[in-house]
Amino acid sequence: MPSLKPPSGLDRRVALKLLAAGMASAMARCSRPDEEIIPYADMPEGLVAGEPMRFATTLSLAGYGRGFLGISIDGRPIKIEGNPNHPFSLGATDIFAEAGVMSLYDPDRSKAIRRGDTISTWGAFSSAWRHATHAQDGQGLALVTGRVVSPTTLARIGALKNRYPQSRWYRYEPVHDDAARAGARQAFGKVVTALPNWADADVVVALDANPLGHGPDELRIARAYAARRGKAAKRQRIHVAESIWSLTGAAADVRVAVTPAHLVEIARAIANACGAHLGTPELPDFAKAFADRAGQELLAARGRALVLAGDSQPAEVHALFHWTNAQLRAPVSYLPSQDIVENDHAYELCALANDLHAGRIQTLIVADANPVYDAPDSLRIAEGIATVPFSAHIGLYRDETAHGCRWHLPMSHALESWGDERALDGTASIVQPLIQRLYATRTRDDYLAWLANEDVTKAYDLVRKTWQRGAPEAVEASWRKALNDGVIANTAATPLSLPVDRVSDFPGMSRPRGMSAVISPDPSVWDGRYANNAWLQECSKPFTKQVWGNAVQIAPGDAQRLGIEDEDTVDVTIDGKTITAPAVLMPGQADGTIGLHWGQGRLEAGRIGSNIGVRVCGVGARPFARVINGAALQKSASTVPFRSTQAHTRLQGKMEQLFQIATPSEIARTSPKKENRAPSLLPVPPKGDYAWAMVVDTDACIGCNACVVACQAENNVPVVGPEEISQGRDMHWLRVDSYMRPHGYTERRGFQPVPCMHCEYAPCEPVCPVEASVHDHEGLNVQVYNRCIGTRFCEANCPYKVRRFNWFDYSGEQAYADEGVALKAQHNPDVSARGRGVMEKCNYCLQRISRARKTAEKENRKIAEGEMVTACQAACPTRAIHFGDLNRADSDVSNLRKAAQHYTLLEELNTRPRTTYLKRIFNSDENG
Amino acid sequence: MAQLFRPGANSIAVIVIVALFAGPAAAIAFAYFLWNSPYATDQNLTRAQPVPFSHLHHVGELGLDCRMCHTGVEKAAFAGIPSTHICMTCHSQIWTNAQMLAPVRASYASGKPLHWQRVNRVPDYVFFDHSIHVAKGIGCNVCHGPVQKMALMRQAEPLTMGWCLECHRHPEKYIRPKDDVFDMYWHQPFDQLEVGAKLIRQYLIHTDHLTDCSTCHR
Repeated sequence: MPSLKPPSGLDRRVALKLLAAGMASAMARCSRPDEEIIPYADMPEGLVAGEPMRFATTLSLAGYGRGFLGISIDGRPIKIEGNPNHPFSLGATDIFAEAGVMSLYDPDRSKAIRRGDTISTWGAFSSAWRHATHAQDGQGLALVTGRVVSPTTLARIGALKNRYPQSRWYRYEPVHDDAARAGARQAFGKVVTALPNWADADVVVALDANPLGHGPDELRIARAYAARRGKAAKRQRIHVAESIWSLTGAAADVRVAVTPAHLVEIARAIANACGAHLGTPELPDFAKAFADRAGQELLAARGRALVLAGDSQPAEVHALFHWTNAQLRAPVSYLPSQDIVENDHAYELCALANDLHAGRIQTLIVADANPVYDAPDSLRIAEGIATVPFSAHIGLYRDETAHGCRWHLPMSHALESWGDERALDGTASIVQPLIQRLYATRTRDDYLAWLANEDVTKAYDLVRKTWQRGAPEAVEASWRKALNDGVIANTAATPLSLPVDRVSDFPGMSRPRGMSAVISPDPSVWDGRYANNAWLQECSKPFTKQVWGNAVQIAPGDAQRLGIEDEDTVDVTIDGKTITAPAVLMPGQADGTIGLHWGQGRLEAGRIGSNIGVRVCGVGARPFARVINGAALQKSASTVPFRSTQAHTRLQGKMEQLFQIATPSEIARTSPKKENRAPSLLPVPPKGDYAWAMVVDTDACIGCNACVVACQAENNVPVVGPEEISQGRDMHWLRVDSYMRPHGYTERRGFQPVPCMHCEYAPCEPVCPVEASVHDHEGLNVQVYNRCIGTRFCEANCPYKVRRFNWFDYSGEQAYADEGVALKAQHNPDVSARGRGVMEKCNYCLQRISRARKTAEKENRKIAEGEMVTACQAACPTRAIHFGDLNRADSDVSNLRKAAQHYTLLEELNTRPRTTYLKRIFNSDENG
Repeated sequence: MAQLFRPGANSIAVIVIVALFAGPAAAIAFAYFLWNSPYATDQNLTRAQPVPFSHLHHVGELGLDCRMCHTGVEKAAFAGIPSTHICMTCHSQIWTNAQMLAPVRASYASGKPLHWQRVNRVPDYVFFDHSIHVAKGIGCNVCHGPVQKMALMRQAEPLTMGWCLECHRHPEKYIRPKDDVFDMYWHQPFDQLEVGAKLIRQYLIHTDHLTDCSTCHR
């Protein structure tokens, strides 16, 4: 075939030949490409090709391990689910765990050893290490890590210390608990981990504490929270005072928004109510009323009452609340801290900066930490690292710190590593790989063992060595049991008995000048380490529904005062540094506060996460301060786009019907509503053996988004990217709508997960010209992708706006080419990857129904109640999503549909949805 | 002036008018026929395999059971192509030096799998599951044909959606007792329709769901 360059040599004969060849080839049959089947040469025992297998493993958040089950099909990990055995998963997941598979296949992961910008070799690195200039005894050798509680890693750090006695280990975690540590020291004289036994509390008072927000303890607390929402138990009363909205604040029955200075005064008032004599708190009336009422209820529920202070609270408040909890005989377990380093996190980072600038460090190893990004600019970490003669960074990505160091060593992802982790209470579990490492990487333990010149440097052998306990014949059995169960038996710490008999000094807080910036980790990308995860970037933040960026949350009162409107770009000036970002008006936020999130504004995160949003962690003098006073806010001259998803489907004036709220007494008064059985012009839907239905309990939903990311992983839902989001397009099959209703001094907020309603009289069906939208006999409104021609009539006719259109080849990476090919390995092979021009939507995890049906039918029985679990349901930490068969009169969903708090979205349309809701219940009748 | 149209023009006009209607109809009919013909469906096509494996020999002459090699057929969607180790269970003892089996021995020695060419294939948007068909009394040869007579494996049936639906609409015509699923010589009884209807009830087959789109597409 001649090349198709400019027709200089193309004469008439050649042109005719080509034309003829073209016609001939057009007539020739377009044959399907041949396909190969490649079986195993030696198939592993127990493996069945194409069938999912589950392996227990551990993923960590902020250094603490949480046990999960990795689902692997044909050797490829495709999904993470909760491990019911693990006390900090209890069968649930959160967004970070769900997105773990995305990180594993992330094409931007570091794949090679680098020296500066060039790819290097292990040999070159080891020779450089031997010539590193630290002294024989390790003087001048520094190791920097995040929080480490893994026994195997701690043993490696110990071995390194043995080999180099004068070396120094700096450990800091950006999302730290320094205030809680200092508070515990004041109260008990030592650092302890206080774990609230949430389910045992009838009254909870949280002061800017966010136990239901993301963190290593979220899943355990959320499960307990949900257990207390059920109708069986006596309802819990949750009082929250906070400055900016948190998930716990949204879950509260009574909430007030006050400035950080007032929060301290509320703490004083509550402690006074419990018997402290700390002087009169200075509070505005509504806050005083809140504190009085909370104090009364706490005292009334003595023994079953709990107070919690958040990370933004000063150490004194933590100490005071330990005392208060002791007075209340609160259900709190005090455990020895797993974080064995004496110094606080911010102190350690400052010490690192000082030692760098003083030239006391000649050799620097940064293992899985990113101080160049997350340390405040005032510490000048990057400059410090540049002066070190030998610096090496070990990490998943070639991030900011890797660019600052002379060497970079690629680290294995947890899903391809051997290792171990401990949970908050000390429960140990094994990190088990689900796949052979994808690139030439090693684990952190591998590298550290090698640096310490240990005999054993293979991660598997290192972990085995750690857990080589008991009689030799029992070792293998207990190892296999630990791998199978996902927890190592009897490793949780025993609770301490710690009396607190005195109130520590409690200074008042000086009234701050300017506004208070209240800073928390990003609800989607945490401290920035997940910034390159496209699922998380496109996972909308609970309150603002913002994606691909961060914003400045301001109270409407301040906005009015400063002439700022929603989505205006603003400048926040803190300590002379300015952050420019779009503003979001947050009714229910305290006047005089500014809400900010860490984690965005990465420069070297990768192709997904770089240059998204603005970096907040650079401001301030103290590292990772949660509250910085003296901030100034003004409208900016520049414009930064605000990208969010909820406005895509906003329905005006329907809020009270769409998101229904009630109080327990109202529920007791109302009788269950009769189901709407009005006649319809649409054809009667077919009936079959099952009638699948979903009931979403908005009362249990805490808005954590785990269901959204779980759905994305399970159903091959593509990411569309920031430009497409700006066009009003997104692909989530399940969205979580955020609702806000004015109430007294504050707002009431709630969340509503919205998947496809699977209407019995589905408006999308009659308008499809090709019958691609049809009903099946089990009540599913299914979308037949290979029939769909993309008219989008169904989307236009869907009143719930749950249909998603492939404007581009999102899953084939045409529009989002940055995703790379490695990601295809994550796709669930049981679900089609949809092409361009095709409509798609939630199908109640049809592949899971199909699998459950086949399993049952092979055993000649029906699918049992609870056997079929959708991906969103499995992920949900509060069990807010119920799924089952309506044909079964005693099924969970059948019962819930008869409950008094049951309601249907847009019932007046007579669509008879199979997905219905339970009302949000606020356990308070009064205002405020 | 001479006549513009000669007498033959009438015939031509009639032919043209008829062809105007018949032509497109014939073209559509031809396309439809072609679409369903073995030319397009690959029916009866044999493919070159790394080893000329003969079902005629192994099933027809030796009488091996399907499940001996296709180990996943009762458990999973994919029936499974035997691993080299399964081949070598026998061939480490018999025909140990056959030239024909050299690739199998090489695979066994090197641990590198054999690359077989897929013969029976449905599009990627069809989620076919062997295990449920086998469990509900659909014999192997209903879809795979008389395997025991095939020296080289070929696709016995068209595997088009219409062909699938023929059975999904009228399973009573094809269903057989579970015990006979792997019997290559099973013949339909004279009262198949009655027996079939009885088996459908006995095996709790939900016939209404069989023709739902969601049964095979998702």
